[in-house]
Amino acid sequence: MKLPHPGSLVALAIVALVAGGFIALASVDGGKPALLSIGPYLVRVLLFSLVQASLSTILSLLFGIGVALALARRHFPGREVVLSVLGTTMVMPSIVAVLAVLSVYGRNGWLADGIRALGWTGDFSIFGYPGILIAHVFLNAPFVARIVLDGLHVVPAEQWRLAAALGFTPGQTFRHLDWPVLRAEVPGLAGLVFLLCFKSFAIVLALGGGPSRATLEVAIYEALKIELDFSRAAWLAFIQVAICLSITIVLNWTFTRPPVTTTSRPPAPRPDRVHRGLRVFDAGVLLMSAAFIVPLLLSVLAGARYAVEILDTDLAAAFVVSVAIATVAATISCLLAVALGAAARRHRLALRSPRVAALYDLLPNMLLAVPPFALTAGLFLIMRKFVDPAMAGFVLLPLINGLGALPFAYRSIAPRQLLAGERYGRLSDSLGLSGMTKFRLMDWPLLRRPFAAAFALSMALSFGDFGIVALFGGTELRTLPYLLYERLGAYRLDEASAVGLLILFTAFCLAHVSGRMSYADD
Amino acid sequence: MLTIKDCRLVWPDFTADYSLSVENGTLCAIVGPSGGGKTTLLHMIAGFETPDSGELTFDGQDLRPLSPAARPTSIVFQDHNLFPHLTASENVSLGLRASLRLTAEERTLVADTMEAVGLHRLGHRKPGEMSGGQRQRMALARALISRKPLILLDEPFSSLDPSLRRDMILLVDDMRRSRPVTILMTIHTPDEVADLADQMAFVADGRVVASGLPAEIMQGPWVYRHRPESAG
Repeated sequence: MKLPHPGSLVALAIVALVAGGFIALASVDGGKPALLSIGPYLVRVLLFSLVQASLSTILSLLFGIGVALALARRHFPGREVVLSVLGTTMVMPSIVAVLAVLSVYGRNGWLADGIRALGWTGDFSIFGYPGILIAHVFLNAPFVARIVLDGLHVVPAEQWRLAAALGFTPGQTFRHLDWPVLRAEVPGLAGLVFLLCFKSFAIVLALGGGPSRATLEVAIYEALKIELDFSRAAWLAFIQVAICLSITIVLNWTFTRPPVTTTSRPPAPRPDRVHRGLRVFDAGVLLMSAAFIVPLLLSVLAGARYAVEILDTDLAAAFVVSVAIATVAATISCLLAVALGAAARRHRLALRSPRVAALYDLLPNMLLAVPPFALTAGLFLIMRKFVDPAMAGFVLLPLINGLGALPFAYRSIAPRQLLAGERYGRLSDSLGLSGMTKFRLMDWPLLRRPFAAAFALSMALSFGDFGIVALFGGTELRTLPYLLYERLGAYRLDEASAVGLLILFTAFCLAHVSGRMSYADD
Repeated sequence: MLTIKDCRLVWPDFTADYSLSVENGTLCAIVGPSGGGKTTLLHMIAGFETPDSGELTFDGQDLRPLSPAARPTSIVFQDHNLFPHLTASENVSLGLRASLRLTAEERTLVADTMEAVGLHRLGHRKPGEMSGGQRQRMALARALISRKPLILLDEPFSSLDPSLRRDMILLVDDMRRSRPVTILMTIHTPDEVADLADQMAFVADGRVVASGLPAEIMQGPWVYRHRPESAG
């Protein structure tokens, strides 16, 4: 009997792992139908999740698109630095964003101190919608700006020259050159930002301000950690999967970029850059963005002042644990991505079954819909029969983080695998190459840079993650984000900012390496 | 008459210095090796590049202070001439009005121009639904409808197959015979226009090395010097 393709086995294993975890969770209390009993609570959680995610998405898109258009039209000293900051915000750990929001807008933050210095004696709270929205926009708007800006750069130089030759006004430039890009990019981007905000955990947990402000993800965490109600967690998880999966599937079919057009011509300047009104508008947008982003970034950088004070064995141990977990998680996500990418390529090129290949493409994205807490709890229930429960975190943390980073690793690795197959597949078949020899000679030369990029990005995502470590964290298992959460909980903001800076610096370095690897030539 | 006199453009890795005269109503083929400065010459005339010094006039008018839109030029590129979200008619209409708000007369003119290039039945199609040759016909139609007296064709047919390329060149020749227009066309294969062009200019290393009748230029030593097989 012929053995199945390793990629098919990996896909099967992922599906079995997720399904097994959910079945274990749902059946732990004998599978009691508890949905009706949590009806009003569920409605409240769903309503809050939908409203905060919708508002966060709208604000992030408005802010991000405005910044992207302004940056597309303007060139100024330091623009490259701004672009690289935008490019790396996707690895900004959410717990660090929480710290930044508290430092600037919190009760004893910079803003409150500044207003008090002017004689104001009132009180205000950042908890609830304001804090959540600020943190979500801080994390997502730069990401939106970067993606939209990349999309605008795809417009061929000839079309900008044509616009200049035809004398387009700023409005016509927007209509014929910017709008087609936005129309193609924004629906998918909006879906992605909505999904991220809908699933938001650390930000809502820390800035929600009480149990009345919970996303499904937080509700699952509370059901598992505080109420030990596994059945409720399972129901909440199913509902989250249903909603997120629907969004993911719609995203998968609708998120189509315009065909990538290439041109050998050098880039052409935009004709609307000389319009006086737009100059003022762009300056206003960029200044407002700077006024919003810079204090938040500075609040994290201010942690450098307390760097010496936090140097202790706890910090060193947490750093080592974080690096070790991130390394294992990145290894898992990249190896799974290579296996799935190889299977997708085989179906696309050799077996000529693009629909099956599309299913392999969909699988990593579907993991975005799976609530990590519910999956972790389910797997923990299975594992506790074989593994010391105290050690379960060391196994589950890298595994769940690896699965969480898989969509990003796959997006980096799979297209290059397909390219290698298209270029050299027939040649390697005619030479009789197979197995590791084929991988080494045909795939690896094209794959090593995207593999390294995906590895660094997966490490960065895992390194700063404050997700399921909230379930297992403690004196036995402490990562840097968990240490930061502990410091925040103890109102030791100075120490928290120093830990936050260390997390941010490491994640940014890894993301920078990833970016360099992505853009480097083979 | 188009007059280019000692127009100099300087980049860190390339310097161009052009001098060329083209009579009105002429089809002038610009030939020469890749990277020699043919496209830069057209971009300078169209207003996308600004010469640091020299004279650039058309019928006595100084073109240098004019924006690309204000110049008496219309340009067709090798690719990306059309906006993919607009129909064929709308793309052609852009040559008349960028706002796309046309009068009844202008709509008739668009239809006539589409017919002149053989695309009258495809006005509702988007560029993605048309062949490479049809797309370039649309781009030519847009250049023609603008009624600008100087048409610049920047290797417009090099991505088409040889027979289609010849058809398009004949179409260009028809157009300039039907109305008073001066055409400058860069082309990789001088043989294909030698019998139709009135003038040929050989551009290499950022200079117009020679200009004259196509037969003279085709026989000249510079053509052989810059042929790839003679290199090295």
